[in-house]
Amino acid sequence: MTERAAGNIYDLGYRRYEGRRLGRWDAALSLYVHGLRAAFGLGRRTRSKIFPIGLALLAGLPALAYLMGAAFFEINVSDVIKAEDYFSTNIFFPQVALMLFVAAVGPELLGRDQRHSILSLYFSRSLSRLDYAASRYAAMATAILALTLIPQATLFLGNALVVDNFGGYFRDEWKQIGPIIGSSLLISVFFAAIGMVISAQSARRTFATIGVIAPFIFLPVLSGVLISSLDNLAGRLGVFLNPFFVIDGFTYWFFNATPDLSEEHPMMRAAFSGGWYFLFAIVITLVGIVLLLRHYRRKSL
Amino acid sequence: MPLIELHGLTKQYPRVRALDSLDLTLDAGVIGLVGANGAGKSTLLKILLGLLPATEGSARVLDMDVHIQGREIRNLVGYMPEHDCLPPDLSATEFVTHLGEISGLPRPAARERTAETLRHVGLFEERYREMGSYSTGMKQRVKLAQAIVHDPRLIFLDEPTNGLDPAGREEMLDLVRRTGQEFGIAVLMSSHLLGEIERVCDWLMVIDEGKLKKSGAVAEFTQTLGALEVEVEGDAATLVKALRERGFDARGGGTLAYVALQEAEPYDAIRDCLVEMEMGLVRLEQRRQSLEDIFRPEDSPTND
Repeated sequence: MTERAAGNIYDLGYRRYEGRRLGRWDAALSLYVHGLRAAFGLGRRTRSKIFPIGLALLAGLPALAYLMGAAFFEINVSDVIKAEDYFSTNIFFPQVALMLFVAAVGPELLGRDQRHSILSLYFSRSLSRLDYAASRYAAMATAILALTLIPQATLFLGNALVVDNFGGYFRDEWKQIGPIIGSSLLISVFFAAIGMVISAQSARRTFATIGVIAPFIFLPVLSGVLISSLDNLAGRLGVFLNPFFVIDGFTYWFFNATPDLSEEHPMMRAAFSGGWYFLFAIVITLVGIVLLLRHYRRKSL
Repeated sequence: MPLIELHGLTKQYPRVRALDSLDLTLDAGVIGLVGANGAGKSTLLKILLGLLPATEGSARVLDMDVHIQGREIRNLVGYMPEHDCLPPDLSATEFVTHLGEISGLPRPAARERTAETLRHVGLFEERYREMGSYSTGMKQRVKLAQAIVHDPRLIFLDEPTNGLDPAGREEMLDLVRRTGQEFGIAVLMSSHLLGEIERVCDWLMVIDEGKLKKSGAVAEFTQTLGALEVEVEGDAATLVKALRERGFDARGGGTLAYVALQEAEPYDAIRDCLVEMEMGLVRLEQRRQSLEDIFRPEDSPTND
């Protein structure tokens, strides 16, 4: 092998690179695209694609199922599933699919680079530590956005196509587009912040995945206990410990809708207006991003 | 323009002083950085790359300050770390192309240069295979390829022969030498093996416990400090002892003694000692001294 290789070297000679050199932002963009592809296992083994693509399909399943129902049985699906309910605790499993997606992809994006000590290769280039963390976070948020936005868009367009009057449907329902995009974006950046901060803590995939899932399981339980046992502000604030209720709260706020919930539902008992959930999600997202950037700024190599 | 300039460079960790007031100017070429494990080699490389801040002093690489112009420096240098850094489920082509892009090459250029670079390091047929199936030697080649894919002006190689068998070691040293001499890329290579440095480097710097011990052209060390090799019939150790008593720098054992060529030439003394001890002389010849001879035993960076 060496002799052949040496032969090649002398045949071709080493050529200097005289072409264009791109800057820091292009490097960050390249890392972002690389992360986005890695999130769905693109360019990797089939095994790497199964989880993320499977979970993406799971998140879109209600939209697909209702659309197929509409196509075959001529049901107006907008009567059956509303945009504001899609990622709510009412349907539930798209939310669970999102959580599992974050738990599967976060460790893939961050833990992998730590596990294989690739960070020193990135940081010895023009990319800064903050560029790295920001690019990875943006890739994660965009990947989640694909899971939140595509089913909603499918549902919206499907509804428009099922009714006889496409233009009429669009005229009546176009106001849904803003809330759909807004709520999908906030769910994505909110979940990405939580998932990435936890994923960054361990190079071991198993630990990181369990670490991401754990708060989604235990915090809702704690939230339920607080709300049901304390009849004061502390108990009411417990509703914010449940990330799924937070999503519900700001999503209904985006759509300016009233959730169809019983008086006993924790969100009804807590009685916070939707704007508080929105603010809470924004604050948690910002805190998460700051913690993630700080983690990488201080990380020793 | 000097390649690297250090002025009072110090790195203090909570419990240990990894670098202690290094002052040095290095010009382009293939530079060897020698020191035992823990001598501060990797710390120095990381400071020069701007990956670690220095506690005191300053360092300039390619006439740029590492503290202020770290990003500009990193655009123009390549780094091959000592540790394993290759994801096993990617092919060499995908990985090196990706890092080429991160180094600022547009995608088509990154792909083209990846193919060329992998060929230069002797990986071509295997470049589409997942790196998890590579031998240690092949992995070291990929690590070198990612360091030069963007055609840097200087590369830092941290123990490039680590973990290689003797044949792999030879091939890697040959690649390092070609990178410096044929590709025209300046090289700063760390190693704890003097023999390697002697083979490929033009310049040598030795650090020990964070302090600069020696710095100079390799040829200077090996040529000006010649030695005589004396083969005798009998125990050379007694000859060594006798020569030392007469003030000569001698060492050896078995049937071979080595005597440093100093201002006072040792030829007459060797003859006299042999006559006194009635010891037969088999051979006496001037030997080009190797770096290992020079630094052994008091510096002994070759022990590990």
